[in-house]
Amino acid sequence: MKKIKNMIAIMVCKFLTFASKLMGKKGSSGPGGIALKISPTLLKDLSSQIKGDIIMVCGTNGKTTTNNLIYSLLKSKGKTVVCNNVGANMLPGVACAFINMSTVFGRMKADCASIECDEASLRRVVPHVKPTMVVVTNLFRDQLDRYGEIEMTLGYLDEAIAKVPDVKLVLNGDDPVSVQLGKDRKCITFGVDENCNVNVRESKEGRFCLNCSHELSYNYYHYSQLGDYYCPNCGFKRPSIDYGAKNVSMTDGISFDIDGKIKTKLSVNYRGFYNIYNILASVAVLCECNESCDGINSVFDLYKPQIGRMESFIIDGKQTVLNLAKNPAGFNQAIATVMTDVRPKSVLIAVNDAPSDGRDVSWLWDVDFEKLKESNAKNIFVSGTRKHDLAVRLKYGGFENVTVCETSRDDLKTIISSDGDICYMLVNYTVLFETQSNLKALEGGKSK
Amino acid sequence: MKITIAHLFPDLLNLYGDLGNIASLTYRMQKRGFEVCVKEYAIDEKIDFENTDIIYLGGGAEKEQVTVCTKLFEQKDEFENYISNDGVMLATCTGFEILGNSFETESETHKGLGIIDIKCVHGKERFIDDVIVECDLIGTTVVGFENHISRIFCGNIKPLGKVLHGSGNNGEDKTEGAIFKNLVATSLHGPLLPKNPKLTDWLISKILERKGESSSLAPLDDSEENAAHGYITDRFLK
Repeated sequence: MKKIKNMIAIMVCKFLTFASKLMGKKGSSGPGGIALKISPTLLKDLSSQIKGDIIMVCGTNGKTTTNNLIYSLLKSKGKTVVCNNVGANMLPGVACAFINMSTVFGRMKADCASIECDEASLRRVVPHVKPTMVVVTNLFRDQLDRYGEIEMTLGYLDEAIAKVPDVKLVLNGDDPVSVQLGKDRKCITFGVDENCNVNVRESKEGRFCLNCSHELSYNYYHYSQLGDYYCPNCGFKRPSIDYGAKNVSMTDGISFDIDGKIKTKLSVNYRGFYNIYNILASVAVLCECNESCDGINSVFDLYKPQIGRMESFIIDGKQTVLNLAKNPAGFNQAIATVMTDVRPKSVLIAVNDAPSDGRDVSWLWDVDFEKLKESNAKNIFVSGTRKHDLAVRLKYGGFENVTVCETSRDDLKTIISSDGDICYMLVNYTVLFETQSNLKALEGGKSK
Repeated sequence: MKITIAHLFPDLLNLYGDLGNIASLTYRMQKRGFEVCVKEYAIDEKIDFENTDIIYLGGGAEKEQVTVCTKLFEQKDEFENYISNDGVMLATCTGFEILGNSFETESETHKGLGIIDIKCVHGKERFIDDVIVECDLIGTTVVGFENHISRIFCGNIKPLGKVLHGSGNNGEDKTEGAIFKNLVATSLHGPLLPKNPKLTDWLISKILERKGESSSLAPLDDSEENAAHGYITDRFLK
């Protein structure tokens, strides 16, 4: 009976996924929810067939990139990997990923799994899929109305991890918040082992000791609350790092050495300091899966970033760079990356307030937009449903060259043709897809 | 004329873009030609009520709420004097709740400062929504965002206004916030003041009144602020 139920659920899910793809929708999570309604134990039945590691990737920023890097690395080692690489990271999306790798008879055709999981959803996913490793990239202040305060997110993760006592944690050791999860647990850390002078002034949440509430001190500081921290009051400090980055250079792409449990040199054509963490986390996972680091440089070279991760377009002969930023830490990092480009430029900032973006946009006041004054930005454009909030934010930040616009093709063309040699577009989640498809069309010569 | 803003404990109370409230006060006073000094207090510093023209107390997580309340008890009498002598103050989110008679965290009930007659009870679900309040004080609406689990009940004290959209103080009586003399207290952030320039100007006019300055405030170009305010009212009231 259970077998038949599972078969029906799998077929329904596969059919709906296929149908919604035909209709041009992303269709990456809805069908999974329906399948679980038909057969609540389906996901457990499927995931328990996986013989190798099951890795779950959580964290405020960088989880999609990190998860996709892990997937690419494991694939390069000849593994068949279950992966929700479209970013559908709640229970239905996870179910869909497993069903896609199963036969209609419910037999899994995979060796291992790398699953991106929403922080609040992990506790609902682990009863179905038992991870062998949980990666936490970082815990920053995110969309407040979905998660409440940072302690609440930490509580959700703690609750989930407590359900799988054997799990190995892979934590960002530079993050005093994430490492809280490692207390009295099996835990591997990664971090950047030297001062790289990347810091910008930012909001300070998390920079207080979570054990005793005293303000943390830093031997060196990277961004947000990341760095080599210690608490002068209770002695809490950055743990020893198992996978550390040293000799970091960011002049042409990123290069650094990994030192610790393994020693290797890496050089990739990505931008943005935060990508060091994504790479470190994925390499740490690979090594903890007992795989060698041979040939990983070429995997990183071939990896195509997700849409809107410093994605480049050439439109009317001018480069336009599109980047997703969803919260203060993400925006501050995107701004820091824009600052490394000294050319005269125009900048678009677009923020929507749909439920998946977070309806509360008060965090805009925690972003250090003022930095853009020193970025050689000739014109600044604001857009998205909260364009007027952005206009107010920048007005009080002392900007005078701000234009309110839409993200239609016409308006994007106007932005691109304004003064400057390059155009940066920093947008949040739901603005991203529309903007990306418009930029693609413009790049292909379609203006209408 | 120099105006001093006392920003209480920004290191601890820094949720919800609270700096925007300071930015709005500062900008609108500077535009009117006043010299503005923002004094940021650390948790171990004594508040100089004597040389303060407006106090801002913002929101923080539960743990910080208790720390801040305990700290303010040390200067409770001076605090009460300041408010009863028409001292100007803005309190938002948890900063509002600790001024009342009592407030509850998940496990405990805490004694509040007792400066205003409100009682806060821990609810079940958080109120999370855009909020629009009809506010007679300034003759227009106040817009903001709420995210609180407390149910706040006003005793012998006037609310800031009537809720037109959202939950407000307790989800039952359609009230939001509280006003007592020159203290404006509310659960709204967003941050509050940038999108509600009339409320900012009301606070500024009270500062000037108290300093014996009688001239009215010169109007400013508020087109951006009004557009941001209008986005919320158009979306939920039309």
